[in-house]
Order: sequence, then structure tokens, then C-alpha cells
Amino acid sequence: MNLEVIFDNWRFLAEGVILTLEITLLSLAIGLVLAVPAALMRLSRNPLVSMPIYAYIFYFRGTPLLVQLFLIYYGSGQFREQLEAIGLWQFFREPYFCAVLTLTLNTTAYTAEILRGAIQAVPHGEVEAARACGMSGALLYRRIILPKAFRVGLPAYTNEVVFLFQATSLVSIISLLDLTGVARILISRSFAAYEIWIFAGAIYLAISYSLIFFFRKVEHRWSGHLRDRPGAQAAAVEEAVALR
Amino acid sequence: MGDAAAALVVDDLHKRFGELEVLKGVSLTAEVGDVIAMIGASGSGKSTFLRCINLLEIPDSGRVMVGGELIRMQPTRNGHARPEDRHQVDRIRSRLGMVFQSFNLWSHMTVLQNVMEAPVHVLKLGKAEAQARAQALLEKVGIGDKGNYYPAHLSGGQQQRAAIARALAMEPQVMLFDEPTSALDPELVGEVLRVMRQLAEEGRTMIVVTHEMGFAREVASEVIFLHQGRIEEQGPPAEVFGNPKSERMKQFLRGVR
Repeated sequence: MNLEVIFDNWRFLAEGVILTLEITLLSLAIGLVLAVPAALMRLSRNPLVSMPIYAYIFYFRGTPLLVQLFLIYYGSGQFREQLEAIGLWQFFREPYFCAVLTLTLNTTAYTAEILRGAIQAVPHGEVEAARACGMSGALLYRRIILPKAFRVGLPAYTNEVVFLFQATSLVSIISLLDLTGVARILISRSFAAYEIWIFAGAIYLAISYSLIFFFRKVEHRWSGHLRDRPGAQAAAVEEAVALR
Repeated sequence: MGDAAAALVVDDLHKRFGELEVLKGVSLTAEVGDVIAMIGASGSGKSTFLRCINLLEIPDSGRVMVGGELIRMQPTRNGHARPEDRHQVDRIRSRLGMVFQSFNLWSHMTVLQNVMEAPVHVLKLGKAEAQARAQALLEKVGIGDKGNYYPAHLSGGQQQRAAIARALAMEPQVMLFDEPTSALDPELVGEVLRVMRQLAEEGRTMIVVTHEMGFAREVASEVIFLHQGRIEEQGPPAEVFGNPKSERMKQFLRGVR
């Protein structure tokens, strides 16, 4: 076992972890914000609104993330002149920008689909009750439909978060030094592939489970209405004892 | 709104679902303090009629006036109609309290939050005031100790009483009840009817779609019997139940007794 290579390069590895987290959180945050309007547009009865979103979701769910990453990073080079003309080339030539853009577009598509299903699962009667109280439009969504939909969609969204976090390892292919990128460089220098990949895997594992733990906490907080009545278990035990 | 304006006037309401004409011109006037019981076999159109009043169903034609304010409608090309002004609909709905057969409490909120929700976010009432009002209403319907429970943790009768408190919290001009006891176990029906009877005695204007003939007979000021989308019989309960004129009403009464 060559563990020195890890100790000697801990700062380099830490920078990789930070970049991994940065890309993950940035894409997730922007993706979540964009997913709400995307899901609403997807649900629109006007095909001019829903069809473009449907096509977008169809593409990003139907193709590999790596292909999407290559398309945006390498593909944009073909349009360099046009992108320069509108002042966007300075962004598209940066792998960091292309990585965040790709991951954001990808997670937005998945999250919008999760949210669409969750919105459709909101009980019709509860929406009707809100309408009957004089709620409509944005207020109805903000107060009743979205809070319910977020609760319904949360378990599926947790999977999406973990998936996206792990998928960030692909960005090392377009030269970013995330945890995987750093690991690859260290291996090329030291040939300690076994040690370094185990170490990198352990870090991914720890962060994945932290994310799952965090979302489990949120889920618990949000699901009081799905659990047994407080004290019901104690009462049932008491009853069982009394009956004996 | 002057004293002269009736709490609710519905005039010549028509509603079609595809080929089926569910309402064929139903009218009703409720003065302040009236309790109107709507009875009839299932499929007679009574629930649809109630839902047309606050536009949960959009009537194809006819007029609805709440406290003297007409809900402005415009005909559409396909022979239906739509409201002219969504904001007016929201405003009118906030003045009509609706109680549903299946309660429809917001399941992710506690009972107290359910009752506070619309006053805070629709009427823009202060939180403290809304909470005080909500607590008082929960006590009025007999579940003052259940405010922090989620709806799923209450019995059906308690849920329906919470739903009544939620509707009352908007201080509506008219209460609409859509078969409020039909989803309840028989032993829970009484507690809900007691609350409704109390509201009637306080002089609330109520339109009640119901299968509870006892309630209609004893509490209603007027009974309307609907049959196949038309009013078949109408009048004070003593008359409608004691001396029904139409053959269908007689048949219906024999059936429910």
C-alpha cells in the first residue's frame, strides 16, 4: 500500500473535492430553480408552450450525459465565430462553464419530470378546496400545489441529487480537476491506482451518504402528516398491555 | 350591498356535460338567514348545481348573483361560457364557504394551519388575528384541542368539522354544503349535523345538498327537490314532506324512508 501519495497530495485532493461539490451544488441549485417553470410549461395545455419543453426533456433524458458534455464543450467550438459575435465565446471556451451548463440542463430535465409527476399527483379535491377559498394562479401554486408536490417528489429528487453528484466525475474528461480529475493525475504520476481509486471512492461514498442523510432529514420534517399520530404507538402498547 | 339584496340569487342555470344536460334551468333565491336544503336522487344534478354557484363547474348559461353582485360571464364559441374576470371569481369564491363531501382538507398542513391558510393568504389577515379566529372556530365546532393534529390523524367527523371551520374562517356570506355527511360512518353523522344546525340557528345563509331528510325537515327554511336537472317541488319543509304534490317526490320519499 502506498498511502504516502495520498498524504503528500492531500491539498490537491481537497481542491478536487471542493470543485466536485461546487459543480454539484451550483448545477443542482440552478436546476431546481429552472425545473419549476419547466414543469409548469410541460403541463401547459398550449402545445406551443409544452412541446419545446417536452423536446428538451426528451433529449436530455434520452442521451448519455457524456454525449451532452461533449456536444456542448466540443460542439460549441464549431460556432466560435457566432459565439464571439454575441460575446458568449469567453464562456463556452471554459470547461468549467460547459460542465456546469451541461449538468444544469441535464438535472433540470430530470427534476422537471419528477416535479411534473408530483404536481399531477396532488389530490384534485385539495386543489378544488383552495380554489373554493378564492385562491388561484401563483398563490394556489405557491401555497398548495408546489408544497404538496415537493413532498411527493422528494424521494425521487434525492436519487437525482445523488446521481448528479456522482455524474460530476465525467467532467474530468474535459480537463477539469475535480476529485476524479485529481485522482487521474496522481495515478499518472505515482502509478498507485488501487490506493487512489479506493480513496476517491470512499470520498464519493461519504458525500453520497451525507446527501442521502440530509434529504432523509428533510423528508422526515415534511412528512408529519404521513406518520402515525403522535403518541399513537405508546397508546397502542398501553392498550395491548391492558388487554393482556 | 344594501339590505334589499338577497344573499344569493341563481337564475335559470343550465349545464351540459357532453350530450348529457345535467341542469335544465334551475333557479333559487336565498335571503339572508335562509337555509335551503336541496334533495333528490343521485344524478339529479344537485351537486352540479351547488358547484356551479362558486364556479367549480362553469354553467353554460344562467346568472349567479352573490350579495347583489353578478358574476359576469361571456359565452364561448362552442356553446359554453366562461367568466369574464378571474379576479371577480376569486373574490366571489372567497365570500362563499364551501364544504365538500370528502372534506378536502390540505393534508400536509395541521388543522390550525388549514383554518388559517385562506384568511392569511387570501384576505391578508394578520397571522395573530387569523390564529385567534381559527382557534375560536375550532372550539366552536368542538375540536379546539385538535389544532396541532394533521387531518389524517382525525376521525371523519372531526375532519368535516375542521373543514366547516376552514370555510367559516373566511366569514362567508353564504355557506355551501355538498353532501357533507355522505362520506361519514353513521355514528359520526350526528356531530356534523349538530354543528350545521347550530350555524343555521345563528342565522347563517346556507345551501345544503343532502340526503339527510331529518335535517332538511327540521332545519331548512326551504326544501328544493331536483329531478333530472329540474326543480320538481319546492317549498317549506312541512309542505314538501307533509303534502308532496309531484308523483316523483312521493316516490323519492318512499325510497328514502
